[in-house]
Amino acid sequence: MVADAGMIAIGAGIAVGLCGIGAAMGEQAIGAAAVGAMAEDEKFFGKGLLMTVIPESIAIFGLVVALILLFVFNV
Amino acid sequence: MLKPTRMTRVVIAGTKDLMESVISTFHDLNLLHITDYSEESETFKIGKPLKPASKMSEYLLSLRSISNQLGIIENESQGTSKTRELQSRMDEKISTLQKEVSSRFDEMRDLESRIKEKEDIVNSIKPFFGLPLSLESYSGYGSLKVYIGYIDNDLDPKLSKITNNYELFIGESEKRKIFALFIPTVFADEVQKLLQDERSYSELKVPGLKGNPPVVLEALSREISDLEQKYAKTKAELENIKKEYSEFIIAADEYLSIETQKAEVPLKFATSTNAFIIDGWIPTSKYDEMEKELQKNTGGLVHIVKNEEKANNEDIPVELENPTSAKPFELLIDTFATPKYTEIDPSAVLFITFPLFYGIMLGDVGYGIIVAAMAYFIKSKFKTGGLNSLALILFLSGILSTFFGFIFGEFFGFPIFNMEVHGEMEHGLLGIAGPAIASIHMPIHRFGEVQSLLLLTFAIGIIHILLGLILGFRNYYEDHGLKHAILAKGSWMMILIGGVLLIAKLMPAVTSKLPVPTGDPVFMVGAVLAIVGLILLIAGEGFISILEIPTILSNVLSYSRILAIGLSSAGIALVVNTLSMDLFIRPDGELLGGGIVLALVGVVILFIGHVINLLLGILGPGLHSLRLQYVEFFTKFYEGGGKKYVPFGYKRKYTED
Repeated sequence: MVADAGMIAIGAGIAVGLCGIGAAMGEQAIGAAAVGAMAEDEKFFGKGLLMTVIPESIAIFGLVVALILLFVFNV
Repeated sequence: MLKPTRMTRVVIAGTKDLMESVISTFHDLNLLHITDYSEESETFKIGKPLKPASKMSEYLLSLRSISNQLGIIENESQGTSKTRELQSRMDEKISTLQKEVSSRFDEMRDLESRIKEKEDIVNSIKPFFGLPLSLESYSGYGSLKVYIGYIDNDLDPKLSKITNNYELFIGESEKRKIFALFIPTVFADEVQKLLQDERSYSELKVPGLKGNPPVVLEALSREISDLEQKYAKTKAELENIKKEYSEFIIAADEYLSIETQKAEVPLKFATSTNAFIIDGWIPTSKYDEMEKELQKNTGGLVHIVKNEEKANNEDIPVELENPTSAKPFELLIDTFATPKYTEIDPSAVLFITFPLFYGIMLGDVGYGIIVAAMAYFIKSKFKTGGLNSLALILFLSGILSTFFGFIFGEFFGFPIFNMEVHGEMEHGLLGIAGPAIASIHMPIHRFGEVQSLLLLTFAIGIIHILLGLILGFRNYYEDHGLKHAILAKGSWMMILIGGVLLIAKLMPAVTSKLPVPTGDPVFMVGAVLAIVGLILLIAGEGFISILEIPTILSNVLSYSRILAIGLSSAGIALVVNTLSMDLFIRPDGELLGGGIVLALVGVVILFIGHVINLLLGILGPGLHSLRLQYVEFFTKFYEGGGKKYVPFGYKRKYTED
């Protein structure tokens, strides 16, 4: 059971880590574009910020998977 | 609420001699949204500005440049001025102001450049302090060439190879060696070459002045301080002008803005040789007031047509209408898009869901109170505008965060109530067990109840999306009829509900490896709903729509962020608390066990950690709560693209009739 717990923890870590990388890849493109748009018109700040957090869902999915692994399977 | 203000189309026609009084009436009413006239024809052309327009804008231009130069800012506490008074003194006042201000401004700029010039000379004289000569002795020779500059090496041995007939002065200035060489012109080429080969040589220019450097410098400093005094005096004079005239300038600016607005509005009218026509929209409830006022001011000589017929919906200007409490949420709608005239205005829904999601995400009594207090402070600082709305939204969100903080039992990440964690009792700040409300035992610990809270967030998501689909159904019904509404939105509702029922029955069976409960009535209903929904969807939008089915699943899953954001924020708070408490303030469970210094480190970590987490806690839940509205909720019903209602008129602040 100890080994299982370890594997579950590693799995949870991988889920969060990889999802974080994926979200970051999405955000970097959007963030760059948002900064560009803001250079044109500062009023874009609010919308740009909002657009930038949209890929964050992916990171959150990763976190949810990790939580399910840790709290649901790790009984 | 939920629907934009009802509008009525009005068309007003009259003779041109009445135009001015009609314009002033509408301007004072501040109600009519004027539609631009753009289709010119033989008889009707776009109107021309009233006569005083160009003069007014000229005044306005010079007034604004004066106000810019003086740095005048609007002052809310200022009283109001009578327009008649303003009008009579406008001409003379603006021209004197212009003369006084611009002449002083030019003078100041002139003084500035002269001071700069003198300072440059002072800087160029300073190196010559190192040499024992007066400034005029460096120039004015017929047969002598003079070289002055910085150099590191000794020049004498090299020069003696060329000639002995020279004079060399050496001194020091700012830790560098400086020299002045006087040599007959015949040797100039050779010396030039010699100096060019010296790497450390850099040439100095002699300022064309006379006298000993220190004496010259003193005279210059005196001149500079004279100029600076003059500069300060002019500046003080400008300050006085600013104080004396700022009230006039602000009032006149408003008066002139109003007058130019009035003078230029005929550009939106259709005019013939002798008549004009205004086409526009007015809130239906204000129509009678407008009609009465207009007839009174023109002696009943204009013709008003009330046009009840349904125009093209996209041309109707949209004014959102909400109770005061939900009004600030219109800001969030405007940031996204103005709704169309026939669409639902979701501000009132956001009034409930936005702070609710925010509250569950932040869910901490300490943070909640700080957010609410900060929002209250901003609200009292900015009485109007976007910041005020934002502060109100944040205030509500902070209150709800505090409320959920009690339910989750968290105060800056510390537990409020006693509770059991992994079989051990952990003492809360209050030292009592949480109360039980409706047989649910408080607190609901967020780390302990992940599974049930996750299900709760999915339930919130399903309800929220369903609400969006219902609103979408209504919008479609209004625009395209019942059939389209069922095909486009009803199908999705069936798929969503059916899918939820199916998964609710399937999941337990899969995890416990039981056979799929095909006979279960709930399962059956779910399957039938989902299949019917799918058929309707394909009938409505074709086979390609199958590709969209997974989006509804990811939409629902997306609501798990309500829990996830909260957990990450609570997690950071927990880490900060554990770090500072266990390592510094109370090592090995003993208060101040590591000495006062370590305890102070702990306090610093505690403070910085919570400040950072608070900032994240304002930004994260705010953005993600908004995202759930915009991406998951709005996409189900909201199209936007309406035209904003901008009435012709002006809210006077500084002038009165």
